[in-house]
Amino acid sequence: MAERKKRRLSRREFLIAAGAAGAGLVVAIRLGIPPVRVRLAEFLEASAGPPGSIEAEATAWFEIDPGGRVRIYIPKTEMGQGVHTSLAQIAAEELEIDWSQVEVVQAGTGQGLDDPIGTGASNSVSSLWQPLREAGAVMREILRLEAARQSGHPAADLIAQSGVFTLAADPQFQITYGQVVSSAGEWEIPEEVPPLKAANEFQLIGQPLARVDLRAKVLGQAEYGFDKRLPGMAYGAVARPPTLNSSLKQANIGRANSVPGVIDVVIQDGFAGVVAESRAQAIEAVQALDTTWDEGQKWDQADIEAMVRVGIGDGVVIQKEGNVRQSFEQGDIIQAEYRTPLAFHAHLEPQAALADVGAETATVWASTQSAGRLRRLVAETLDREEDSVVVMPTYLGGGFGRKIEEKAAVEAARLSQAAGVPVHVGWTREEDFLHGFLRPPTHHKLRAALSAGRIEAMEHQQASGEVSFPFLPGFLKTALGADFGAWRGAFIQYGIPHRQTVAYLPSLPVPTGWWRGLGLMANIFAVESFMDELAAAAGEDPLTFRLDHLPRNELGERLRRAMETAADRSGWGSPAPASRGRGIALSVDVGTIAVEVAEVSVENSQIRVHQVTAVVDPGLVINPDGARAQTEGAITMGLSSTLVEEVTVEGSVLQAANFNRYPLLSMADAPDIDVVLLESRDTPSGMGEPPIGPIAAAVANAVYSLTGERLRRLPLKLGQS
Amino acid sequence: MDLDINGQLYQVTELPDRPLLWVLRDELGLIGTKYGCGIAICGVCTIHVDGVPTRSCVLPISGLEGRRIRTIEGLATKGTDGEIKLHPVQQAFLEIQVPQCSWCMSGQMMTAAAVLEENPSPSEEEIKRALNNNYCRCGCYFRVRQAVARAAEIQAEERADG
Repeated sequence: MAERKKRRLSRREFLIAAGAAGAGLVVAIRLGIPPVRVRLAEFLEASAGPPGSIEAEATAWFEIDPGGRVRIYIPKTEMGQGVHTSLAQIAAEELEIDWSQVEVVQAGTGQGLDDPIGTGASNSVSSLWQPLREAGAVMREILRLEAARQSGHPAADLIAQSGVFTLAADPQFQITYGQVVSSAGEWEIPEEVPPLKAANEFQLIGQPLARVDLRAKVLGQAEYGFDKRLPGMAYGAVARPPTLNSSLKQANIGRANSVPGVIDVVIQDGFAGVVAESRAQAIEAVQALDTTWDEGQKWDQADIEAMVRVGIGDGVVIQKEGNVRQSFEQGDIIQAEYRTPLAFHAHLEPQAALADVGAETATVWASTQSAGRLRRLVAETLDREEDSVVVMPTYLGGGFGRKIEEKAAVEAARLSQAAGVPVHVGWTREEDFLHGFLRPPTHHKLRAALSAGRIEAMEHQQASGEVSFPFLPGFLKTALGADFGAWRGAFIQYGIPHRQTVAYLPSLPVPTGWWRGLGLMANIFAVESFMDELAAAAGEDPLTFRLDHLPRNELGERLRRAMETAADRSGWGSPAPASRGRGIALSVDVGTIAVEVAEVSVENSQIRVHQVTAVVDPGLVINPDGARAQTEGAITMGLSSTLVEEVTVEGSVLQAANFNRYPLLSMADAPDIDVVLLESRDTPSGMGEPPIGPIAAAVANAVYSLTGERLRRLPLKLGQS
Repeated sequence: MDLDINGQLYQVTELPDRPLLWVLRDELGLIGTKYGCGIAICGVCTIHVDGVPTRSCVLPISGLEGRRIRTIEGLATKGTDGEIKLHPVQQAFLEIQVPQCSWCMSGQMMTAAAVLEENPSPSEEEIKRALNNNYCRCGCYFRVRQAVARAAEIQAEERADG
């Protein structure tokens, strides 16, 4: 994997301001406006998230007030991944402040903090790691220069620690950051970014600090998009199509106006909604609208599965080493096919937003992963300049990729504009399941040539519904050919002389898109199940077989260490407990390695996962407890997909509108999870998604080792391979 | 009608068939109780009615007059000095750093608090069973059960201290 170039901030990329009296010192970093192409290249190289608005500036800023409080404005949204805590740890490290001085503030748009990427794709920490530390160091130096000016001591003699400058020569002397910023400063930006700390000097980075958002959360005080309230607000509801492919032909008010509490009925081009005093009234009124839909073509599950098939349409070669096809002309060829289904995000807080659209300005509070993109879409809907729209992200009750979607917020803005009052739109579970986008179904064909227990050649062909393309400008689709979200995790990482990966991208009549890890779990399920099949064909232990095929490079060494650690920790070398089987799988994603061992049993044809051992190497760990929590969470969510989740389509209607038809994994079936973190580098890579990669394959492989039955379809069901 | 919520009387004007959840959230501003499914499956709306964990999304307010309703906002108590004293369950959920997004956590904690009233020292199997009907999409189950066991210890310590 290519190392990202470290970009050093230049002087002109810092903005400083001594705010109004008493406001203290404010330092912002500007990451400039890189040419579109550079931005996209960086973004693709990091397998990063959606560029909501590729023209915008990424910035972050810090504020120190005279009381010594440091406010760190973070544009990334907190959806449970702990990003407010880990980014604050990174920023505070070079600032030399005590953790107790830090206050994290969620930044919105219009605060000079427009985040072009949004929050997702496990890239918040890796993309801000360098600029945040540099900004912290520069701010500390600005303070030091000013403290030197104020005190008359040479800047080089002032020691910064815990938000205070001291002198080695004079134990009596001290001047706090708060005191420095209290006097009107002549803020001077240092000529160069000061040298940053080495990893062995870190005091906050690497510590299992408590999450900054959890006290409010255990008290029930944290505010989410579904919770946001304003005086004089009303509630909105929108007419929904009967099928996935319907469009609104005609809408009339019908009986909607006679429902008590109705404030406004809004019928515009292709849109019909109501505003009422209460949520229940809005829902009742929207059902009383008289709507006619053009239902379009009807599709069934069999149609979808026929579309998602390797070989249909044009395959794009996305990885190629040696000559695979030639290698398949002779020798022992092994083949297998795998499938994964449509799935929901099932974030427990459905899509929600509050919009307050005034004559000149509009403010939207939303559970969103992509404030920048949302602002653009709200502005387009209102037919206004982007500058006049502010999007304030709230806490998110889960995101998992789905909260890039803008619909609820755009609906709230449209209704607020029409009704002239702030409007909250909070989707019902049914709306959330039936009218959003899903994880795409996938199909995989693998084949390999084995010779004397070694894989000579291997090919992974995969077909998937779109993941990133629905959210990107159209020209990119043409330029790229293959959807990098769909093929995430599809590459063959082993040191096989001839290997290739081919991606097919059918266009489906079901909306699909981002889902935790994008294509990662599906692709790893296929590749790592197949590796197990090859190990069995070669008559080798699955662990040994994988170790024998590791690439001979840094990645291979990292993988070896992670696999050996996982083997030791899970007791791989000794027999599994009675009636249990173990399976192993690995993945490499955004520079992070994950190796997982699942221990399963089968009771009454039901697969039970008792224990998962996970070894994760994200390069460098910012917060070990947070990294563990992300690993536990990704594994548990992945297990739910592995064992229970699936939705089908009949007559262009998704066949699950709520949890009664779409159960999730629950407590009794959630295993114990043992997490080991390895640090093999001096920079962090992603943590939110990578550990979801291996879990489905690890379980399928464990089921095979226990029962001899190879399951090639998610969710795993015995007797249906 | 008057509702007794967290020891305080609230006058409510909503229709009697409205579920308590929306009255709490939209009329009274008690947003700590969350919505997740509306059909009493996911558990994020769990509150106590006379100490019994109950799904507020399907609970009409009509039968609630004179009953003691407790929500997440009433789980912690306020000391005479005004200091907030976290419930043992809240202490344990913080100590184990359980919540991720936390949308389900009011329901998890309210369920756990009721369980510990009934059974002050539950076994791991009893914890699993008692919390089995509260979904967590972030996947915090492993920590939830550690925290409920820890909360039982804290509760026992607090009760021993009187």
